[in-house]
Amino acid sequence: MQNRDRSEAEVAIAPRSDPAQEHEAVLIGRIRGGETELFYELIRPYERRVFVIAFTILRNEEDAEDTAQEAFLKAFKHLAQFRSESRFSTWLIQVAINEARLRQRKSHLEIMRPIEDKENEDGSYTPHDFTDWREIPSEALERKEIREKLVAALASLAQKYREVFVLRDVEHMSIEDTAEALGISVGAVKTRLLRARLMLRDLLSPGLEGIWASHSQIPKGTKPWS
Amino acid sequence: MVVKCEDVWREISNYFDGDLDPAPKQALEEHLAQCAHCQSVRDGMRNVVELYGDKAMFHLPARFHPRLRERLADQVEGRRVSRRAWLVSVGVTGALAASAVLAAALDHFVPLPLSEMSQPAQRLPQHLVAIVDGGKTFHVPGCPFMHGKYHMVTPEEAVREGYSPCTRCMYEALRSAGNVTPDFKGEETVSIETEAQ
Repeated sequence: MQNRDRSEAEVAIAPRSDPAQEHEAVLIGRIRGGETELFYELIRPYERRVFVIAFTILRNEEDAEDTAQEAFLKAFKHLAQFRSESRFSTWLIQVAINEARLRQRKSHLEIMRPIEDKENEDGSYTPHDFTDWREIPSEALERKEIREKLVAALASLAQKYREVFVLRDVEHMSIEDTAEALGISVGAVKTRLLRARLMLRDLLSPGLEGIWASHSQIPKGTKPWS
Repeated sequence: MVVKCEDVWREISNYFDGDLDPAPKQALEEHLAQCAHCQSVRDGMRNVVELYGDKAMFHLPARFHPRLRERLADQVEGRRVSRRAWLVSVGVTGALAASAVLAAALDHFVPLPLSEMSQPAQRLPQHLVAIVDGGKTFHVPGCPFMHGKYHMVTPEEAVREGYSPCTRCMYEALRSAGNVTPDFKGEETVSIETEAQ
């Protein structure tokens, strides 16, 4: 069911094109040719993206920053292995995801995964019926405590949902690039994205006052408002 | 085409991604127009996507960028400076800066002579003098009694650091009593290699 005719609402979340791709190819060539300091320029647009995906997986700012640094370091060391068939950004994200998962395994964080990981993602999901749905305005993001609540809501999702959601909806990568970065099929990206969006909608729909009041998936004792 | 709520919930994400053909898209929108539950699902999902997609949602930690540059510097810039060495160098630089500030402050401190007898035995020259690290005397550049790398300092700094005037070259310079015009440009403090003579 492919369609290129997008509505206004659709455009708001459409993946952004990468006009700098050709420039990146030139930069990579020059870096390989010895102008190594250009690597800073190459990675500058992706510092946030790499940090966010590491943070999404590890759910800890310090670990995420250290992991992001390691990922950039590995990307520099292995730049010769980058194949221009894929986007540099996608390859870089793959490096970052691998690095974060490696750290996760080392620190045994996987044993703390939420139980939703064991759910069958193909199973149907029934969104809650909120009679008094209230929108959270974007202006609320200026408040740190609101951002922290949103981050906590995202962190409460299983990792496979977090990864897809962050690449697609936070970092605005295309469905195809998200699939490539995560090494999963386009269909799996769509399924997980649907589930992630619905679960977050359920978590946020009561609005600012009632946020997570009755549907929290956050472990007891770690409620973000406490 | 009849669309149920379950159909909307299954396709709502594709709807937002522009991934529906016109016919199912129209049928879905017709259902949405008359179903409050599905409207709340649609609006809630849009709210989620807009909030998390906002640039204000996630921030890099403060000083993320300079810390990253520091971490990458060894490889990217070809430097071979370890983190510890970097910290040591920062510490040394700080200590030198503090010393410079202290020295500048001391420059303005002129102790009162205890008596006529406490006046310096000889006047210090008005120009920079040359010292060699580890040496004991300060010189006019070109003095044959100076060996190795030298750098330029003020006479006051040389005295403060324990150097005394060279009895050969400085004698001649001081004897000229202000008419000394040594053949160096006394502004730099760079190290210069000289040959022992």
